Amino acid sequence: MNHPQWILVAATLLGAVAMWLLLPRVRDRGWPLGIVLGAIGLGLLASQMPRIGHWTTDSVFLVLAAVTVVAAVATVTFRNPVYSAIWFGLSLLGTAGLFLVQGAAFLAVATVIVYAGAILVTFLFLLMLADPQGRAYYDRIGWETSLSAFAGAVIVGILSMTTISVLTNPSDQLAAAAATDQQRAEGVLGEYPIAGLGSALFGTHLIAVEVAGALLLAALVGAAAIVAHGRVKPPPEIPEKGDPAAARQTGQEAAGDGEPASPTRTHAAAEHRR
Amino acid sequence: MAETIIIALVKIALVIGGLMTAAAYFVLLERRMAAWIQDRRGPNRVGIPLTRIRLFGLGQPIADGVKFIFKEEFTPAHVDKLLYFLGPVVIFVAAIAAFAVIPFGSTLPDLGIEGLRGPIHLLVAPGVDVGLLYVFAVNSLAVYGLILGSWASNDKYSFFGGIRSGAQLISYEIPLGLGILGVVFVAGSLQLETIIGQQARTGVWNVFVQPLGFVVFLVAAFAEAARLPFDLPEAEQELVGGYHTEYSGIKLMMYLVAEFLHMITASFLIVILFFGGWHLWGLTGAGDEVTWPIAVLRVAVLLAKVTLVVLFFMLARWSWPRFRFDQLMDMAWKVMVPMGLVNLFVVAVWIEYGTRLVEALGLHGGIVMAAVGWAVLVATWLALTWAAPAVADNRPRLGPPYAQEEFEERPTP
Repeated sequence: MNHPQWILVAATLLGAVAMWLLLPRVRDRGWPLGIVLGAIGLGLLASQMPRIGHWTTDSVFLVLAAVTVVAAVATVTFRNPVYSAIWFGLSLLGTAGLFLVQGAAFLAVATVIVYAGAILVTFLFLLMLADPQGRAYYDRIGWETSLSAFAGAVIVGILSMTTISVLTNPSDQLAAAAATDQQRAEGVLGEYPIAGLGSALFGTHLIAVEVAGALLLAALVGAAAIVAHGRVKPPPEIPEKGDPAAARQTGQEAAGDGEPASPTRTHAAAEHRR
Repeated sequence: MAETIIIALVKIALVIGGLMTAAAYFVLLERRMAAWIQDRRGPNRVGIPLTRIRLFGLGQPIADGVKFIFKEEFTPAHVDKLLYFLGPVVIFVAAIAAFAVIPFGSTLPDLGIEGLRGPIHLLVAPGVDVGLLYVFAVNSLAVYGLILGSWASNDKYSFFGGIRSGAQLISYEIPLGLGILGVVFVAGSLQLETIIGQQARTGVWNVFVQPLGFVVFLVAAFAEAARLPFDLPEAEQELVGGYHTEYSGIKLMMYLVAEFLHMITASFLIVILFFGGWHLWGLTGAGDEVTWPIAVLRVAVLLAKVTLVVLFFMLARWSWPRFRFDQLMDMAWKVMVPMGLVNLFVVAVWIEYGTRLVEALGLHGGIVMAAVGWAVLVATWLALTWAAPAVADNRPRLGPPYAQEEFEERPTP
C-alpha cells in the first residue's frame, strides 16, 4: 500500500463532499461543515506537495495556490452571479501569480489581459444586461450538484494521482525531458524569453497557431452571421395613401430595424410579411 | 540585498509622491486652462492660509484635498457594501501599479555606495521583459473599478455609466494594442527602456516613421483614459456623475485621482513609445553611460514632454464635443481597428523587405521609412474618407403606424 496515494484519495473525497455541501441548493444547511471539510482536504493536498525550492518560494506558491483554489470554489458556490464573476477574477489573478512563480512572466500577463481583462469583463457586461440583481431562481441554485461534485473530484483525483506517481518514481524518460537549470536560464529566464516564445509559436508550432486563428475567425464570422440573420432591410418608402395595412407593416419593420439584438421580433416581422 | 530593497522603496516613494502631487496640480492646471478657454479667471484665490497671500491659486489643490478628506463620507443604504468599497480601491491600485514599469528618466550614475555598483535605473522595476504588456494588464484591471462601483451603487445612472465604460474600454483595447505593435516590431522588445533606447540610438522617433500607428494609439489612449470627447462613462449632462454618482468623500477622490492617473499613464506611454522618451537631439546624448548633468537633463526632457502631452489632453477636452455612443463604437471597430491593421502590415513588410531594399539602393532608411509611413497615413485617410464607415444615418425614421394614420387623417388647415 502506497502511503501518499491514500492521503490523496482521502483529500479528494473530502473535497468532493465539501463541494457537495457548499454548492447552492434550494435549501442548504451544511455549508459550515463543507468549509471545514474543504479546508482539511486542501491541507492534506498541500501536505503532499513536493517542495519546489527555497522555503520563501514554497510559501508564496502555497499561498497563491490556496487563493486560486478557494476563489475557484467560491466562484461556483456563491449565489450572486456578480460575486461569482469577481471570485473568478481573483482565481485568475492567483493563476497568473502561479505562472510568475514558475518564471513564465509572459503567460502570467497574457492570462490577466485575455481572461481577466477581456473575457471576464464581457461576462460582467452580460450579467448586468441579463439580470442586474441576480434574483432569478435559476441563477441562484446549482443544478446537478452531486453529479458536478463527483465529476470535479474525478478530475482532481486523476490529475493529482498522475502528478504524484510521476514525482515519486520518475522514470528516465521524464527526467531526460525535464528542463535543466541551464536550459531554463537560456530559455525562460534568458534575456529575450518572449522572442523565444514568439519564434517557437510561429516557427515550430506555426500550423497549430494558424489553425487556431482560422477557427477563431470562423467563430467570429458565425457570430456576426447569427446576429445579422433575419434582420429586415430598412423600409425606405412611405406607404401609399389609403392603405393602412401597408403603413402598419412598414412601421413595424422600421421600429424593429433599429434594434440590433432582437431576432425574435424581426423574425416575426419577416414571417408576417410572408 | 538591503540596499536593493532600500533603493526600490525610495523609488516607490518618489513615484507615488510625485504622481499624487502631479495629479493634484494637473487638476489645478486643468481648471485654470478651462477658465482661460472660457474667458473666466478660474481658481486664483487660495494661497497660504491665514495670510492674504494668494500665490496664483497654488494652494487650491491642498484645499481640495483637505475638503475631500474631511467631507462626510456618506454610504447610501441601497448599495452593496463590499463591492461599493472595493470599486475605488481597485481602480486606484491599478492606476498606481502601472507605474512600476514606466521609466521617469534614464539612469543615474554610480552613487558610490557599497553594494550598489553600476548605474541606477530610474524606474521601479527595471528589466521586466513584459513591461508594456504589464501596463496593459494592469490597465485592463482598472475597468473592474468602474464596473464594480457602478453595479454596487445600485442606481440607474451609475449603472448606465458602468455599462458604457465596459463596452468602451473593451472595444478600445484592441486599437490600443494594434497601435503599439508597430513600435514593438521596430524595437524588438516589450521593455519600455529598450524602446526608448532604440529611438535614442537611431535618433528617429517613432512618430515620424509610424504616424498611422501614432494616430491609432492616441485616439485609443484618449478613449481608455475616458477623457473628453470619450467621457461617456461619466457624461455629466446625461448621467449626473456616471459611475461615481453615488460616491462622496475620499472614495470619490480616489476615483477622480485614478482618472487623472490614467491620463498621466497615457501621456507617459505616448511620449515613451512615439516621442523618444528622454531623448532630444543634440542635448541628451544617446548612450547608456551618463554623467550627472545628462541624467538630470534626461529626466527634465521626459517630464517636459509628458507635461506637453497632458496639456494637449486638456486642450482636446475643450475642443471637441462628446461622441454619440454608436459613433464611439463605429470609430473603434470600423475606423481604428482597420487603421491599426494597415499600420501593422506596413511595418511588418518594411521590416521584412524594406530595410534590405533600402540598403541595396543605398538610401537613408529613416527618411524612406518616414516617407512610406506618411504616404500610408494619407492613403488610409483618403480611403476612410471615401468609404465613410462611421457615418450613420440617424435622421428620424417613420414613426409607429398610428402616427402615420393620425398625420394623414388630420384635416389640413
